[in-house]
Amino acid sequence: MNLKTLWRTLVAGAALALVFSLDMGSAQAAGGDQKFNSVCAGCHSIGGGKRVGPDLKGVTDRRSEAWLLKFIKSSQAMINAGDPDAVKVFNEYNKTPMPDMAQFSDADIKDILEYIKGGGGGPAPAMAPATPADIKLGGELFQGIVRLKNGGAACNSCHHVTNDAVIGGGVLAKDLTEVFTRVGGTGVGAILGKPPFPVMEAAYKDAPITPEESRALVGFLQDVDKKRAMQTPKDYGNQLVLGGVGMFAVLMGLYSFAWRRRKPGPVNQAIFDRQVKSQ
Amino acid sequence: MDIRAQVSMVFHLDKCIGCHTCSIACKNIWTDRKGVEYQWWNNVETKPGTGYPGKWEDQDIYKGGWERGGDGKIHLKGAGKGKGLANIFHNPYLPSVEDYYEPFTYNYLNLIEAPPGDDQPTARPVSLITGEPMDVQMGPNWDDDLSGTPDYARNDPNLKKLSPAEQEAMFQLERMAFFYLPRICNHCLNPGCVASCPSGAIYKRGEDGVVLINQEVCRAWRMCVTACPYKKSYYNWHTGKSEKCILCYPRMEAGYAPACMHSCVGRIRYLGVMLYDADKIEKTASLPENELVNGHLDIIQDPFDPEVIEAAKKNGVPDSTIKAAQMSPTYKFVKEWGMALPLHAEFRTLPMLFYVPPLLPVMASVTETDGAQKSKLNPIAKTWTDNWLYDTSTEELWGTIEQSRFPLKYMASMFTAGDEKAMAERLKKLMAVRIYRRWKTVGDIDEAKVNQVLKDTKLTHESAEAIYYLTSLAKFNDRFVVPPAHREQAIEMLEFTGDVKGSTGFGFRQKPERGM
Repeated sequence: MNLKTLWRTLVAGAALALVFSLDMGSAQAAGGDQKFNSVCAGCHSIGGGKRVGPDLKGVTDRRSEAWLLKFIKSSQAMINAGDPDAVKVFNEYNKTPMPDMAQFSDADIKDILEYIKGGGGGPAPAMAPATPADIKLGGELFQGIVRLKNGGAACNSCHHVTNDAVIGGGVLAKDLTEVFTRVGGTGVGAILGKPPFPVMEAAYKDAPITPEESRALVGFLQDVDKKRAMQTPKDYGNQLVLGGVGMFAVLMGLYSFAWRRRKPGPVNQAIFDRQVKSQ
Repeated sequence: MDIRAQVSMVFHLDKCIGCHTCSIACKNIWTDRKGVEYQWWNNVETKPGTGYPGKWEDQDIYKGGWERGGDGKIHLKGAGKGKGLANIFHNPYLPSVEDYYEPFTYNYLNLIEAPPGDDQPTARPVSLITGEPMDVQMGPNWDDDLSGTPDYARNDPNLKKLSPAEQEAMFQLERMAFFYLPRICNHCLNPGCVASCPSGAIYKRGEDGVVLINQEVCRAWRMCVTACPYKKSYYNWHTGKSEKCILCYPRMEAGYAPACMHSCVGRIRYLGVMLYDADKIEKTASLPENELVNGHLDIIQDPFDPEVIEAAKKNGVPDSTIKAAQMSPTYKFVKEWGMALPLHAEFRTLPMLFYVPPLLPVMASVTETDGAQKSKLNPIAKTWTDNWLYDTSTEELWGTIEQSRFPLKYMASMFTAGDEKAMAERLKKLMAVRIYRRWKTVGDIDEAKVNQVLKDTKLTHESAEAIYYLTSLAKFNDRFVVPPAHREQAIEMLEFTGDVKGSTGFGFRQKPERGM
């Protein structure tokens, strides 16, 4: 399974989890803004650029309300049915399926569309630029040098970033080097605050990341993203294998030297060699 | 003075007939299990020969025993702290299973269950280790009695000390001879196995000096297999633990002789307690090679000496053990008569199994004789009526010892760390007892000559008689003086015996009810 498929599986799973986790919340949500921010904003922005999914600014002009209703309820059904627009969007966004929003009634969706039509809350308030101290703290939190306040697992147990300041992390989840480009500061913040991926959600369910930590981590990831071109990740290629073979030979040589006086074989080998053997 | 008790053994090699009854008795009791099929805690070797495992005496191969360093201190040759740690995951001097022999059985079932066919069914040998059919390369006592063969006899490590001419002389058909060497664990005073064990699993029992491996502590580093120069610690591949001769301690605690000794057909084996001074062990084991044997014998103390008895009592040696030491047949052979010697004292483990060396067939000539020659012979010579003479006598009384078919150098290499004089002394004693008995029973020797012979060997009529008795007539209880085990004391060390008083013995398992 390559990383892309893994990512896709995760996203699909995350969406499913979202459905359940937001069941109660949506019942009490009054307006479209609340619903949008709690469910859609993880993947979509309104005038904030592409994230996991497309920027939704002006989507109500681009598509009919009926099309949108159908897509939001079950995008996969439309794609499977071969709707050309739906297939186009699906392919454009790396075939990442959008989860079915079965928890929303038509009225709920209309509320959300109304909110989008209104331009949302405008571009997200610009976050205060992360200070070097924030970035440093973020790096330490990422690696677990400083523990997360509520005891959550450090990011690098599952994630990796290509950065000279950081020792390589895990490969269980997505490489986060370019996550800032991919989902933006708000997206990262949203994911950290309320992880949409089931594994991550479970991991931080009882140990939520605090807003301060989230800010530091976003700052760190932004910094990582910015500096990624300047990193010099090493690609050992065949050298790694050849090095291993060479080292093995050296070790064997060392052993045969250290134990050069070992007993070479049975003392009666000469006798055994003369004996008649069965076929 | 730190007097302790040691159960020691004497094997009288002149009496060993090489029947392997001892080996079988031991195997049936202790090593008839999976994983130990190849182990012979007791084995009997033919000398000259390579033995079991092959060439075990050659410590250039197996690195067993102790070495005396330049500073006069001893250290283990192939194991110990530094070397043990360096080789802890690969012990480079271990004997392989081929050096013992790969144990096998035969697929007997095939003889009756083979489907009908053109050929007679056979029972193929099957390895007891892998379960696969195998070619038998070697078996227990494979080299038994092969005293002249180039493969076994001429590869005897003891021959290294002999010149090629001397070796050649040994293997002339007319001069060829061999003897048997039964071996068990020596229960040494300075055991290499105990010193080498990284887990501390091997210990020497305080009450009788039996060396044992605690099976619960053993972690199969197998350093003891290397460190024991006699190769009497074996690895059980099934349990992953090492095992060795336990001197049948369960039998001894019950007052019986160990199985190998009990079953010995030739009655060559003697067992008894000896008291020794533990303070002298390190100094003795570090002695230069030519002083080793005498130093070893000096460790053993006189059980009648009041000072020794007092020191022994102070150390908690029970009176019954001291009494057993005074009656010990091994003390008589080793110290009182000075006839028995340790095997390969140069390994410096101070073995407590002693051997009365064999007085092998001395040189003889078969010639046709006439009256003139006859008159020159001493009265020991025997002539037949047809004037053929089988002559084992010489003009000089002890000449035959020097000319024996086995060069003294060879015997000395085995028993006295190369000291031929000490070796000759023991052989002369054996010869002296024979001459004494010949005088007594046949009467064709002068009494003056007998007295001369006994004087030369520092024996008396009484001691010669006693040696004869213990060698030839001794009854079971003379040969084996097993010290009482005092299990009651052992139990009291483990638990308070008052606890169980009244809780065992005659009584009712259920409370009796009275009335109807």
